[in-house]
Amino acid sequence: MTDPTNPLVMTDSVSLASRLLLQVSDLRVQFATDDGVVKAVDGVSFSLERGRTLGIVGESGSGKSVTSMAIMGLHSGKNTTITGQIRLDGEDLVSASRERVRALRGAKMAMIFQDPLTSLHPYYSVGHQIMEAYRVHNKVTKQVARKRAVDMLGRVGIPNPAVRVDDYPHQFSGGMRQRAMIAMALSCDPGLLIADEPTTALDVTVQAQILDLIVDLQDEFGSAVIIITHDLGVVAEISDQILVMYAGRAVEGGPATGVFGQPGHPYAWGLLGSMPRLDIDRVDRLKPIPGTPPSLINVPSGCPFHPRCGYRDEVGGDRCATEVPLLREIAPAHVAACHLTSDQQRSTWARLSEPVSDLPETKAGSLLASSDPANEVQS
Amino acid sequence: MITFIIRRLITAVFLLLVVSVITFAIFFLIPRLAGQNANELAAQYVGRNPTPAAIQQMVERLGLDQPLPVQYWHFLKGLVAGENYSAGPSVTYCPPPCFGYSFRSQLAVWPQMVSALPVTVSLALGAAILWLLGGVSIGVLSALRRGSIFDRFSMGVALAGVSLPIFFTGLISLELFSYKWPLFPNVQYVNIAVNPLLWARNLVLPWVTLAFLYAALYARLTRAGMLETMNEDYIRTARAKGLRERSVVVKHGLRAALTPILTIFGMDLGLLLGGAILTESTFSLPGLGQFTVLAIQNQDFPEIMGVVMLAAFFIVIANMLVDILYAAIDPRVRIS
Amino acid sequence: MTSMRRRKSLAISAGAAVAAVLLAACGGGATSSTGATSPTGGSTGGSTGGTTGNAVANAGVTGIANPSDHKGGTLTFASSSTPDSLDGGNEYYAWTLNFNRLYETPLLTYKSTTGGAGTQMVPGIATALGQVSPDGLTWTYHIKKGLKYEDGSAVTAGDVKYAVERTYDRGVLANGPSYFPQLLADPTYKGPYKDPNGDLTSITVPDPYTIQFHLVAPFPDFDYVVGAFGQTAPVPKAKDTGAKYELHPMSTGPYMFQSYQVNKQAVLVKNPNWTQNEDTEARQNVDKVILTLNVNADDIDNRLISGDLDVDSAGSGVQAAARAKVLGNPSLLRNSDNGFGNREWFIYLDSKVAPLTNVACRQAIEYAANKTDLQTAYGGPVAGGDIASTLLLPGMGGYSAFDLYNAKSQPTGDTTDAKKALTTCGQPNGFTTGLAYRSDRPKEVAGAQALQQALKAVGINVQLHGYPAGNYYGNFAGAPTFMHKNNIGIAFGGWAPDWPDGYGMMWALTSGNSIVPTGNANIGELNDPAVNKLFKDVANPKLTLDQRSAIYGQIDKLSMQQAVILPEVYAKVLIYRPPTLTNVYIDPAWGMYNYAVLGKSS
Repeated sequence: MTDPTNPLVMTDSVSLASRLLLQVSDLRVQFATDDGVVKAVDGVSFSLERGRTLGIVGESGSGKSVTSMAIMGLHSGKNTTITGQIRLDGEDLVSASRERVRALRGAKMAMIFQDPLTSLHPYYSVGHQIMEAYRVHNKVTKQVARKRAVDMLGRVGIPNPAVRVDDYPHQFSGGMRQRAMIAMALSCDPGLLIADEPTTALDVTVQAQILDLIVDLQDEFGSAVIIITHDLGVVAEISDQILVMYAGRAVEGGPATGVFGQPGHPYAWGLLGSMPRLDIDRVDRLKPIPGTPPSLINVPSGCPFHPRCGYRDEVGGDRCATEVPLLREIAPAHVAACHLTSDQQRSTWARLSEPVSDLPETKAGSLLASSDPANEVQS
Repeated sequence: MITFIIRRLITAVFLLLVVSVITFAIFFLIPRLAGQNANELAAQYVGRNPTPAAIQQMVERLGLDQPLPVQYWHFLKGLVAGENYSAGPSVTYCPPPCFGYSFRSQLAVWPQMVSALPVTVSLALGAAILWLLGGVSIGVLSALRRGSIFDRFSMGVALAGVSLPIFFTGLISLELFSYKWPLFPNVQYVNIAVNPLLWARNLVLPWVTLAFLYAALYARLTRAGMLETMNEDYIRTARAKGLRERSVVVKHGLRAALTPILTIFGMDLGLLLGGAILTESTFSLPGLGQFTVLAIQNQDFPEIMGVVMLAAFFIVIANMLVDILYAAIDPRVRIS
Repeated sequence: MTSMRRRKSLAISAGAAVAAVLLAACGGGATSSTGATSPTGGSTGGSTGGTTGNAVANAGVTGIANPSDHKGGTLTFASSSTPDSLDGGNEYYAWTLNFNRLYETPLLTYKSTTGGAGTQMVPGIATALGQVSPDGLTWTYHIKKGLKYEDGSAVTAGDVKYAVERTYDRGVLANGPSYFPQLLADPTYKGPYKDPNGDLTSITVPDPYTIQFHLVAPFPDFDYVVGAFGQTAPVPKAKDTGAKYELHPMSTGPYMFQSYQVNKQAVLVKNPNWTQNEDTEARQNVDKVILTLNVNADDIDNRLISGDLDVDSAGSGVQAAARAKVLGNPSLLRNSDNGFGNREWFIYLDSKVAPLTNVACRQAIEYAANKTDLQTAYGGPVAGGDIASTLLLPGMGGYSAFDLYNAKSQPTGDTTDAKKALTTCGQPNGFTTGLAYRSDRPKEVAGAQALQQALKAVGINVQLHGYPAGNYYGNFAGAPTFMHKNNIGIAFGGWAPDWPDGYGMMWALTSGNSIVPTGNANIGELNDPAVNKLFKDVANPKLTLDQRSAIYGQIDKLSMQQAVILPEVYAKVLIYRPPTLTNVYIDPAWGMYNYAVLGKSS
């Protein structure tokens, strides 16, 4: 699944623009807090074509959820400042009125969340919640909406949907709840579906089913999908494009084959090192990135990753600590923001992806395990 | 559901029995342990300068010379089966629930409580409507505009409302609105059947005074509940669906935030129905609260027992209704 | 020792209510019919009363305020408490007896007039005062002919006899006085409810309009016994419902019951069968009388001042808050009266508790007490009263203003004479004793502290012991063994006479025969042969009123010489009357307005 275009390079080409559904450019989201300004998203740009899938990966606090919430227009606090552009079908959402964004929400773009239990209202039946979503954007009777709800539940694989439509969320299993969430999100046939960690809270066996469902429905509905996760295994399966975020910035991006096959950023190496692989001995699978994600109030100077990076010496001098690396094309349509030369990147990755690993000394704690909820920036 | 109610009612009866035993023991057993004899107890109910013969007659009339378990048995019997009673030339039957006859006036207790009940119900229900509407809406607005001037002001007033005692706010409101600017002159209870307008007019000050205290409490509770609820994931889902903010707040936020408040509301209302003592005293309303005060001041055991039992009954019933209501609201709560 | 006039403060009824549930164990009610003469417990401090320069108009003390023959209107009363009863046969509170005259008429009643004559007995339903037999044992009354109840049925002497008989059942009608069982010949009679076939043989009815009382011993004050209370107001046997009779007593007065909801309200309307000619002491000025019960005490005052209410039925005067308002406002003062409340506040000195067994030690306390401070504790000269130096109240037969312990000449205490007396007593350096008072009565608390301080100056150490008012006389101060055991020589108290003469004021306080193991009013335990003999002498039926008064004067002096009572104040009340209230005066018999003659000007 390769894509010839570079999703990270902005283009004004008319032909390209007509195929583009979502275009994010220089998005910045800042939260004013008592401790200072949190730069949760700091100049991120990317675009997404209709029917395609973009995977955004990164640790907790890297800004991936904040980005998706910004697209949905769900940052409402008066302490939040959003700049840049988010164009959905050519319409800028950042400058649009709140009411306009609300009207688009659920209709042209929809979202599903990590924990389907807490994301569904416990006091309303599943059917009621789907009907509600449908009726906000479609002026139909309750009967019509109910038919739609039953239909959607059936399409997401809920058995006996005509009966289960009246069940309450607590009567559903975890996987069924997420299916119901998906049914609700797709009820208005949105062009864009954002799935924020859609499988994290689910059993492993159910995870694959939900991913399969998303892929199947994507084909059926023709929606573009943004899938946000820290689990590279999830995105590897279904994404066309990958965007790696760190400290509110995009540090690498490109076609999934490129990013997975020849990653250029040491942070991506760390992430990939954490990913279960069949060709490496089980013991060596987890190769955590040392340290913890940086504060988004006082982002490290230069390359924000440099305090945790084991390849600073290869760059030489204190360049990593003083000079901000720009996104640079390291392969066709594949960019990364790192001072290492393309050769250094290629040779290092070649060495790292050898079956026997000799990564630099690591501290305790894996990338996966270091997902500290406290660092999760949410408004 | 039926079994649930039956089970709860059986528990309630048991609870009421325990309450009656405790009340009985406090009134009779503890003074007896402290050395008071039947004559000293009876002397309270006879006029000044009682002759020993008069005290003896009172001891016999009240049955104070009988062993305590026998006295308690008589009380229970009257409550369940009624009793025959003579306080004059003829014997009258006191049907159950017979709470006995006042030690002081020799009049049946139950009809007096029944006649005091409408006053307390009028007061409690009216105030409850006011405080529920006022407290909840202020709490919601405060939560939605957290940190605003409105929020700070209303929470400041709420703090005052919670802190100020009713006999203070009540007297101030009487002084201002009944005497200084006589909007509500001559406040005294009028039966709703006699004159509904006057009934309502004369209850405005007590309602507002009582509601002020509770509204303050409920505003704070609602605010805290709303702040918590509005951070829930399902609120984010509701917004992500594109629901209008009003629906998000009312249908998704408020409904969840109100559930615990409803529980407290049920208990508060149950307590109040047993007598709003301070409000009734301040506004001279002849309800159960005033009846309670008089019963205690007069050391009138059957009356004390009556109001304690009635208050306990209301609390038990309110508790049960809250549980049933809770199940209706929250589908996760199952009643089996 | 009943609370003849009661007032409950908001603070007590409100704050103490919950605590009182637990205190029920100790019998700690705020009032009790066995409690002593109660203070006006509503005021929270005593000091506000005496600090005014404005004079009270006192139109209702010196004469009749707003005299008027205007008819019509509604007379509204409010009470901050529950009445003991509205059945004349079951009443002992002064205000309920006063109010009772609006609808029930005993054989005799107080004369409705201002000044000292108001304490005299005059005929009620009887034609004249009692005719006593030469041996003083038989009292005969004739009943006016043609008198009718509210329903038109005739009033007979048998109804009066029945009315007295029913008061013998103290289990049902518990509140009234016990004079009849004590004075009449058959004390074992249990009353018509328990003993329907029995007969009170000591009362005879020779004809339907004559009734005779047969006493076991002469009792010259018997006219007061039949007239000062409601027990001789006729009750038709067929209409008697026992305890429930108070819901609708058969009226023989100017008004009759239209409705009475217990604890709430009584409404009285004109009695069509009442005639002014047959009842000279009451009036039928207004069309309707409403008595509202259990109204907040401070609210009563506010309603009086606003004109929504005519009379505070308790008659004990306004609360502290309204007192300050009235005293500071000349237009309110114009409608206020500050008269004697027919009551005395005093301190008992127990002659059976060492070292007070020695009269000189008791006298030392009499001298040393700071009477001004005690007066202040009770509310000062206006709300508290005048500094007292005798047992008899001013105006009573036999009263003279003697002052054995310099209460008036040295009101802040006479330490010189106190120390002399201590030396005589053999305790030149003072001694230690206990002091009992009612801890739920702010005035007594203040008084106890004032006395403790004054006595300390002469070396007498006083330990304070506060007790609940409800059982004060039953279990504590009124129980001599308790006083002895706990070495309590001093006790606060007060007295309102059953009727305004020397017997009513002093017998229970100073007669050796009045000492009882519980509910004792002679807490000084005076059992002086001379005093006892004088009480016996005064019962001689041959004595004239003046002669009896002279004896009461002697008893007063003797008792004061024995120093078993330290007088504090002759109580005064500050009462506000709305300007529309007519025919208002403080009746010396009650120490409050005479309710039987009030009217409305509009």
